[in-house]
Amino acid sequence: MKIAFTSEGKTWESKIDPRFGRAEYILIYNQEKDTLSVIDNSEVTKQAHGAGPSTAQKLFEIKPDVLITGNGPGNNAAMVLKKLNLKLFVNAHNSTVKEAYEKYKNNLLEEMPF
Amino acid sequence: MKKIKEIVVLSGKGGTGKTSVAASFALIAGKDAIIADCDVDAANMHLVLKPNFAHSQVYCGGDVAVLNQDSCTLCGKCKEVCRFDAVDFSNGRYTIKDLDCEGCGYCSHVCPSGAITMVERKSGDLFISHIKNGSQMVHAKLSPGAENSGKLVAQVKTNAGRIAGEVGCEYVIADGAPGIGCPVASSLSGASLAVMVTEPTKSALHDLKRVLTVAKRFNVRPLCIINKYNINSDQTAVIKEFIEKEGITHLADIPFDSSFVKAMGQAKSIIEVDSKMKALLEETWGKVKEIAQTV
Repeated sequence: MKIAFTSEGKTWESKIDPRFGRAEYILIYNQEKDTLSVIDNSEVTKQAHGAGPSTAQKLFEIKPDVLITGNGPGNNAAMVLKKLNLKLFVNAHNSTVKEAYEKYKNNLLEEMPF
Repeated sequence: MKKIKEIVVLSGKGGTGKTSVAASFALIAGKDAIIADCDVDAANMHLVLKPNFAHSQVYCGGDVAVLNQDSCTLCGKCKEVCRFDAVDFSNGRYTIKDLDCEGCGYCSHVCPSGAITMVERKSGDLFISHIKNGSQMVHAKLSPGAENSGKLVAQVKTNAGRIAGEVGCEYVIADGAPGIGCPVASSLSGASLAVMVTEPTKSALHDLKRVLTVAKRFNVRPLCIINKYNINSDQTAVIKEFIEKEGITHLADIPFDSSFVKAMGQAKSIIEVDSKMKALLEETWGKVKEIAQTV
């Protein structure tokens, strides 16, 4: 199972970015392989408009099963993400990526329906 | 370190008093808050808060197509594909109309001779200023023809958040963008609370409903202020019923008063000219702070 996090940095200790579209990095944790990979999303943060759909499109290439973020994606991004059939968890900001993952495992995160 | 709370003031509809409320909060909060003016299309908060434009940096919103006449083979493909009618053909040559170019890059993509390159366009300046109450404000000024964007709002807010962290400020007060488009999405993303300023008119209620759906999407708790509540008591009752039904915290009713006009004429905030309004807005800001501690 692949879990995506919107993150302000590149490691487990980085803070969850509350923003979805303009998050600087997307971290992907592959549970089976126990690997954390980094997707640099800084190109999208340079886009004037439509950052949300662009980031959502990036996730389409990775096809994560779970997305953990802060305020959540906007409507346009959500329309794209919906097609991925992933589970969306919000309000994970104010935590590090590691803390957010622990909360997820213990069912402490808030799931947002599409 | 305490987490910085970002309070975004929104309205959906123009003219409800969003900036008047945001500027009042800014002056009341003093050094507890860094101000972010995200209403950049027609920025006016600076008129009241008197920033000194201390630091500026160039803001580039997007690209513009540049055509090199020497490599142009006059094939006309660029003109064919441009959806914005930004390619002109006259006197036997093609030119790009800067103001019409949206920077999509389609022309550059189809140009067989590589005569069109996309270059970053300067869209305005971003400023970090000291304001009259000793705090700081992040704001921007757009070039003629340029428009606000999610990117610019993100930059204004990121800078405000960074400064708040550096100086140990607990709040960022953001004067949000109008409408419900990309800049509003960007205003809400990352915010702790949204203060919705509305007025008793049908269009204000309609726009309040629209902006609330966006706030909901972003999981930002909305609070509501009814401004000029006494100009139409029937419509005020309709709004009250609506916000109660939606479970939105009703912060305050602000009466219409000619002192608002007087304050504006003097380029001052309402709290500087009317002590009753000052007390009301101080009480309201107090409520916002209290609620901010719970999110």
